[in-house]
Amino acid sequence: MKLLLAEDTIDLNRAVSTVLRHENYIVDSAYDGEEALEFIKKDSYDCIILDIMMPKRDGLEVLREIRDRHILTPVMLLTAKTEVDDKVNGLDAGADDYLAKPFAIKELLARIRSLTRRGSDYSGRELLFANVSLSAENFAMTAENSVRLSIKEFELMQLLMMNADRELSTGYILEHVWKNEENAQDDTVWLYISYLKAKLRAVGTNVSIDGSRGGNFRLTAAK
Amino acid sequence: MESIYGEHLPELLELQESLMGRIGLLRRKIIAKDGVDPVEHCLTRIKTEESMRAKCRSRGLPETADSALYKIYDAVGLRIVCTFLDDVYMIRDYLRGFDDLKIENEKDYIRNVKPNGYRSLHLILRAKNGFYAEIQLRTISMDTWAALEHQLKYKRDVSGNEELIVSELKRCADELASTDVSMQTIRNLIRGEI
Repeated sequence: MKLLLAEDTIDLNRAVSTVLRHENYIVDSAYDGEEALEFIKKDSYDCIILDIMMPKRDGLEVLREIRDRHILTPVMLLTAKTEVDDKVNGLDAGADDYLAKPFAIKELLARIRSLTRRGSDYSGRELLFANVSLSAENFAMTAENSVRLSIKEFELMQLLMMNADRELSTGYILEHVWKNEENAQDDTVWLYISYLKAKLRAVGTNVSIDGSRGGNFRLTAAK
Repeated sequence: MESIYGEHLPELLELQESLMGRIGLLRRKIIAKDGVDPVEHCLTRIKTEESMRAKCRSRGLPETADSALYKIYDAVGLRIVCTFLDDVYMIRDYLRGFDDLKIENEKDYIRNVKPNGYRSLHLILRAKNGFYAEIQLRTISMDTWAALEHQLKYKRDVSGNEELIVSELKRCADELASTDVSMQTIRNLIRGEI
């Protein structure tokens, strides 16, 4: 895994970088905001650690630029400033975590592990229920045959599989899969449930989805 | 040289015409009733001399009319390409309903997809006079895919990584199949069937 550490206090930067490398991270070190941005433009990282008080461009400016570029890499802010407003501003500007100085190196390492966990552990996962498997890598749904699902179909199927044999309301589905988008309604959920029901039959499984339009849905394996 | 079909070419042509006629009748009926044609296009052919002889050879059969007419079943071939998935089965059921036609064999490669991604419904029909025909039923998507895959199989010097091409063709087949199911679902919704 590759990290970017932007910290203007040279000794602190060196010390932390050394520990991180010892933990088998690849580390790029920047000593000011501009240098940090140069690195970010050239390379991609699994996690970016930014000191807020840096010369040339401060951590919050760098953070805003990262998010403006639609870079979704998790960002941790480090700083001696610990007023609530600073934390709120930092997190609202797009940071994923905030660690006050002085910090225990153990804590920094644990927080980095936490921030980078979602990237690797959860994405390559394959979900299984009865004889159906769903791949997060290529959106394939497979039993005897295989079909490829669209993004929304995949997200709905994933939700159903993670809650297999449990009832989910149309409202819950709209919230979690469609994030309460303006155009999404009960009919939308019903159509996508219908797509999945038909595709489950197409791949040759007796797993099916119980429920009717506007109501609660449940993924179930016929006995 | 005598035809591989002996003197029976006229009877094969008659069977071909009869089958095409029945499909045409069904299409006209449905157009009159629903305003839509369940068939996008329908192709037919009598297998060429060359092709039939080659098939006899590859099957280790003598190049005789007996082989061509009674041991190999696709002297008469029909390919019916449908707009929607359910129409494939609807037409199969229609063909099942004729007294003078017997479905000797049915291979559903839609329910049991071939490893390379190929999907179609194959029927071997036997007419009352003993002659056979092979019918392939598929959707437009399946037909599109098959045409592309055919080029891969029969072109000698395909450039590019063959393994990658095979896996990508499979992916496309599975994506097209997914779309076919979605379109069918939408049609069911429009017709108030779900």
